[in-house]
Formats: sequence, C-alpha cells, structure tokens
Amino acid sequence: MALLEVRHLTKRWPTGRLALDDVGFEMREGEILGLLGHNGAGKSTIMGITLGMVRPDAGEVRIGGRSVQKDRGAALRQIGAIYEAAVFYDYLSGWQNLRALCSLSGWWDEAEVKRVVQMVNLSRAIHQKTSTYSHGMRQRLALAQALLPQPKILLLDEPTDGLDPEGIREFRELILHLRKHHGMTIMLNSHLLGEVEQMCDRCVILKDGKKVFEGTVPSQEKSRRMFQLETNDIGLAREVLSRCGATMDKLGIVEVPLNMEPHELVAALVNGRVQVHSWQPHRRTLEELYMGMSSRS
Amino acid sequence: MTLFLQQWYGELLKLFARRRTYIGFGVFSVLQVVILVMLKTLGFEKWMAKVIAPQTDSFEYYISSLTLAFIVVKLAVFILGGIYLTLVAGDIVAKESEDGHMRMLLARPVSRFRLLLLKYLTASAYAVLLILFLFFVAFLLGIVMKGLGGGFFAFAPEISVVAFYDWGPGIQRYMLAALMLGLGMTTISSIAFFLSCFPIKPAAATIGALSYALVDMILRESRFMESREYLLLTKHIGVWARVLAETIDWPLIARSYSVLLAVNITLFTLGYAVFESRDLKS
Repeated sequence: MALLEVRHLTKRWPTGRLALDDVGFEMREGEILGLLGHNGAGKSTIMGITLGMVRPDAGEVRIGGRSVQKDRGAALRQIGAIYEAAVFYDYLSGWQNLRALCSLSGWWDEAEVKRVVQMVNLSRAIHQKTSTYSHGMRQRLALAQALLPQPKILLLDEPTDGLDPEGIREFRELILHLRKHHGMTIMLNSHLLGEVEQMCDRCVILKDGKKVFEGTVPSQEKSRRMFQLETNDIGLAREVLSRCGATMDKLGIVEVPLNMEPHELVAALVNGRVQVHSWQPHRRTLEELYMGMSSRS
Repeated sequence: MTLFLQQWYGELLKLFARRRTYIGFGVFSVLQVVILVMLKTLGFEKWMAKVIAPQTDSFEYYISSLTLAFIVVKLAVFILGGIYLTLVAGDIVAKESEDGHMRMLLARPVSRFRLLLLKYLTASAYAVLLILFLFFVAFLLGIVMKGLGGGFFAFAPEISVVAFYDWGPGIQRYMLAALMLGLGMTTISSIAFFLSCFPIKPAAATIGALSYALVDMILRESRFMESREYLLLTKHIGVWARVLAETIDWPLIARSYSVLLAVNITLFTLGYAVFESRDLKS
C-alpha cells in the first residue's frame, strides 16, 4: 500500500508561472524516493504542498490515507521534515530548539531525544547555542528534529547542500541506517545525482513542473540486462532485435528481454547477418537517465 | 488543554530566552528612575502640595510612595507607550516568516490557526506582563523614595478622576489599575500582530502599529474627533484610570473593554485570514 500519494498536483504562482502541472506519484512503505529536476522544476513545491505550506490549485497529497489539504494535523503526525534551509533560533541551544519544536507536536521524552541526538552525533554540542554550530552540525540538528517524535516518513529537502564530502557521506550512511533499522520511508530532494543513485530505490524526475520520469534508479535495476552493441548495420540490427522482442536506443544500448539470454540474442544478430563489432555489458547511470529526461536543450 | 499548554510553553521559551524581550523591561526601569530623579530635582513635592492642599488638610500624608509611583507610571506610559509591545508583537510572526523559522514550525502537526493563537496569546501575555512590571518597579522606586505607608492621591484630570485613598485600599486600586492598563494595551500589541501576519518586514509591522496608535492619540488629544471619540482606540484604552475613581463606573468600563476585546478578536481573525492564505516558500 502507498504510504504517501501525490495526486494530480497543479500549482500556478501568482506571477503566472506554472510550478506544477498535474504531477502524481506514490511512495511505498520503506522505500527511498529521489525527487530530481533542475532549479525551479517543482521539487520544493511538492515538498511544500506535502507539508501543507503551499496550497495547490488542484490535486492533493495523502499520507497514510489522510489528506494533507483537508486534515493537515493528522496527516503530518506521521512526517518529519527538513524543508528548505534548516533555520534555528540562534539564541537557544540545540536542546532548547528541539524542545521548542517538539512542543508543537505536544511531545517530549528526554530519553528518546537523547537517543536521537546521539544517533546524529550531536551529544557534545547539544547544549551549546546553535549560533556556534557549523553548517554540518545544523544539518544534523535539522535531521534530529525531523526524527522527533518517530515519524514514519522523512522528507528531506536538499539535506546535504553545502556539506563537505565527509559530511555528505556521514549523512548518507545515517539515512541508509534509518531505512534499514527503522524501516523509514524517505523522500529525498537533491541536486546530487550520485547521492540519489547511492541512496534511492526509485526516482521521479521533474522538468518545468511536469513529471517526465518515474521509475527505478538505474543502479537498482538488477533485473534489467543492458548491452552496448557496436555495428554498422544499425537498421538491420534494429529489425532483428525487434523480432526477438528486444529494444535498442539511439546510443546502441540494447535491453535484453526476460525470456532470452544475452548470448541467444547475439546468435540471432549474427544469424540475421548483422556484423557485430562489439557486445559489452552496459550499466546505465542516473546521470544518463537524468540528462536524457531533464535536459533543457 | 495539556497539549495547548505544552505548545504555549514552547512559544514562551522562545520569547523569554531572547535578550531583545528584556529591552522593554530594562528601558522602562531606567526611564522610571530618570523620571523620579527629574521629579525630585524639579521640586515635585512642592507642586504636589499645591495640588493636594486645597482638597485636604493632611496633604503630606498623600505625598507617598503610591502617589509617586502613579505619577511615574503615567509619565512612563506617555513617553514610551506601546513601543516595546509593538516591537515584540510586530516580530512574532513577521520575523519568524522572514527568517524561515515559520517553515520549521509548520513542518510540525500543528494548524496555522493554533500556531497563530499561541503567538497571539504570547504577545498579549507579554503586553500585560510588561505593564505589570512597570507598575511594580514604579512602586518599588516609590518605596525607596518615600518608604512604606501613607495615602494614595489618584489624579487623572483628563477623565475627571481625583480621589484619595488610605494605604490598603490605595494598593488595591493601584493593582487594579495596573491590570486594566495591561489588558487595554493588548489592543496596541494586537495591531502590531495583525500587521505582522502580512508578508512584510517586522519593523514595518512595529512602525505601522505605533503610527496608528500615535495618530489615534493625536486625534483624541486635539479634540478633532470629539463627537466621534468612541471610534478612537486610545479613548477606550484610557478608561483604565477610571478604576481609580471613588465610585467606579463599571458599565462605562465594561463598554470600552468590550470594544477593545472586539477589536482584538477582529484583528486576530483578519491576521489569521491573511496568514492562512499565504504560501510559505522562499
């Protein structure tokens, strides 16, 4: 069952710019979904609507069956979020910030807060004022507040923005730990394709407010067998491959159908008088997918 | 109710952990000391004796800590008025929206109405607390100058109040006046709160509210709207001093405070409507 459903979202800003155009997708329990797209593609707008901070012109977001637009309080009880920049009250300590934010959820459990603070590796600095925090520490505190009190879904809006490579790695490991050990469902909005590729199971690519792709992240496509074919007989190869139920794109990437083995497909090509210069296993990258779907040119 | 109190605790924690919150307390205290020193230097006691002597034989009895405190409070409110109330109330929504805190808060399962109500109550509580503090400090300074005991000469000629009390009843009236002014001043903070709900700079909300209060006061003082005085908020706020009259005109006070309450509710509702219609995104 889908834990989070984004249904036919449409949003036009007062300036007239269309931010989202009938966008819809679902998130299943326990998955990590990446939201990708260029600046202004509509990623943060989707997060804003999911958190009830932006009003859609049409459509709705449902969390655990509850509509955010109709029953925001109940729907958001299952969500923890880092939305846009993590901004804290600099005159308060990290601990007091957590106290103030958790008070809005009507919840405070010192033992649980300490556990989460330890998990994000902030125990030493938690009683210092957040004005003394580095960017990485702020992001970790942002993650801590999102994890309190024990949400089912995490929404992370560019959480590694501005972090150094060690910080990014630490953050990534933490997210994967949360999914593995706490079964969390996570929506990740990021510009970093490598990060999405390493962390996400599926991704949604947006372009100018429209969904142009929804599917498995290439690195997770264990069932798909792709090969790079090099030949001069492109037309003939395409004809033979088509007869076998296989497809080939413009770059010569062939997807082998499930009912055939790769060597059988090569034999079919050779028997069909196609001159095969090279037949190499190919792993499609997210970057290729993204550039193909989202490229503005 | 427990949930509401827990949520309000968070708002109060933020307000009172902030240095800026205490500027009002500090400045009012300093101002009161300055007023007291000036009164002393200018021969306040001789002036008081002239005012009181025609009305009672024992005028020295009424030149007391309570009388002195009351004069200091009136002057302090006249000079600084609602500046610090509007500073806090003007910040309470606008500054949090501008800084991005509002997005952190609204990522929590709390409705915008509830969040605004918490903020409104916090700003109102601050207004009442600041005024009570003002009365308290003035009283302490009065005791330092004149010691305990003596009578209370309540003098508010603008609303025809001239009354004499002994120490006990005097303290009661003084405390009642403090509470009434505190409640009345929530309307000034409500104006700032209402403006704060718009997507504007916090300073604009503060200045807007102060400007409104100032124009309102000028219109009242200049008698320009004498026949329409009931439209002026400062006229209704000024009713606080009527609790110092020997016979309190409760119907009149109730009428003015009903008007102030209605204005407060209207400003909150309009502020909420504005805030509710906004998209919170940078």
